[in-house]
Order: sequence, then C-alpha cells, then structure tokens
Amino acid sequence: MKTSKAEFDATCNLFINSVNNYFRHLTEIDSELNVPYLKESEGLLLKDYTGMIGISGNRKGFVYISSNREMYEDLIKIFIGIDEPSEEDILDMAGEISNVVAGNVRANLGANFMISVPLVFKGMPDQLKIPDDVTIYVIPINWNNHEAFVVIGLQ
Amino acid sequence: MRLLIVDDSSIMRRIIEKNLKDYDIEIIGMAADGDEAVKLVKGEMPDVITLDITMPGMDGLACLDQIMAIHPAAKVMIITALSDKLTGLRALDKGARGFLYKPVNAKDLANAFDRLLKRNKPTIE
Repeated sequence: MKTSKAEFDATCNLFINSVNNYFRHLTEIDSELNVPYLKESEGLLLKDYTGMIGISGNRKGFVYISSNREMYEDLIKIFIGIDEPSEEDILDMAGEISNVVAGNVRANLGANFMISVPLVFKGMPDQLKIPDDVTIYVIPINWNNHEAFVVIGLQ
Repeated sequence: MRLLIVDDSSIMRRIIEKNLKDYDIEIIGMAADGDEAVKLVKGEMPDVITLDITMPGMDGLACLDQIMAIHPAAKVMIITALSDKLTGLRALDKGARGFLYKPVNAKDLANAFDRLLKRNKPTIE
C-alpha cells in the first residue's frame, strides 16, 4: 500500500511519543528510537514475547510490541520488585505495555480509535495471520539495552 | 477503607496494591474482568474501587453502570490507558469519582487517592 511521507511521519510520531512517555514516566530511563520504516507483511518482526492489540473503529489493523524476556523482567522488577517472574507475568507485562501504548494514542485520535484487549503470545504462533491490505510501520526501539519492535499495521 | 482492584492485568493489580500499602486500606479482593468485579461488589460492598476499562467480557464502563446500580456510594476511580477526554467524561457521567490515565506511577496513584479520599467531587487527573 502507498503511504505518503506526511502520513508515515504522523503515524510514527504518535506511537513514538506514546512509547517514549511509557518508559520515561514509569522507569525514568528513556527509550532510544531507531529509524522507523515501512515493511511488507511477509516475515513479521517478532522477538520472544509479544503483546498485540487489535484496532477497530475509524481505523482498522493492529499494534504489537515484541521483545525478549529480559526487557519484561526488568520492567517487572522495577514495578513490583519480583526477581524471577513467572511465564504468565512475562506475557501479562507484554500485554499491558501494548495496551497502554495503543490506548494512549487515543489522546490524539479520539474515542473512535478502538482497541481490543491484548493478545499475548510467545514466539511465532502458527495461526497468526496478518492481513495483506495494511501498511506496516516498524519502529525499532532500545530501552535499558533491550531491543524491542513496535509494529503498527493500519488499513 | 475497603478497596476492590479491577484490572485484567495481574501486574497492574499488583502495582496498585504495592503502591497503596501506606494507606489505611484493606484490599478486599481483586478482579480480572467486569463480571468478577460485579460479584465482588455485591458480596463485599467495598468503599473504594479502582476500575480498568479495557477488559475481556464486560468492559469497565458497563461494569461501572452495574456497580452504581448496586452500590452508588462506592468511590470508583477509573485507571485506564484510554486517554481520550470523551472516555473520561463518560465515566464521570456514569458516577466515577476520579479518572487516572495509564501509565501510572506511584506518585500518580498517591495523588489520585489523596484527592479521592478527601473529596467527593469528580476529578480527571
């Protein structure tokens, strides 16, 4: 799908601001952002654990944040002081970050940017199908020496 | 003061619990969705409820309607990632006493609870 530079910049900036605010506000450690880019749907960028949010309303698509276990462990340690979180805790943390980052863009996009509860998973589920009519934006980030991907797919 | 924490994230429920330890609050239960929350409200009649909006099954706004019908004196604080003003206004219109946008840190929670427990007028943080 063709995307204008203005649309690309506007979409990326919304999510970049939301991600930056999440990490800065809760951890006082800034996230570092690498250059965002557009990607074809084949070969999604997934790390170990992912929280995915479905988008409906006046925009349709998805947002996910994916990172390795160590990033979620560090966040859980900061938030509730647990050194060895369970698998359920890691997945819960992945879902909650995605929920907050996606929910916060409603400050700009309004209540018709509707978000689902998080779908959380480890690795690459066989049944995960990404629609081919979405523009996929990838924002690589680094927080506290952990790499993560914020991936936005919007019709 | 008896508190019910409602959020589908167990991490978020524990963050709220951890950061309210200094208050004279008894946590009477935690719920991961609206249906579970309504059952706990009917059984326990908590004084204060923190309520997420985006949850599986019955969402927080529908849950708030039921809570207000069962226990209108409950002080409900919405804690949600949905950061548009319309959602906040809807919640206050339905009877919420406070509204807090995620991401929420310890200071945000403390400020919001200080206000909630001292005042009866609705506030949006």
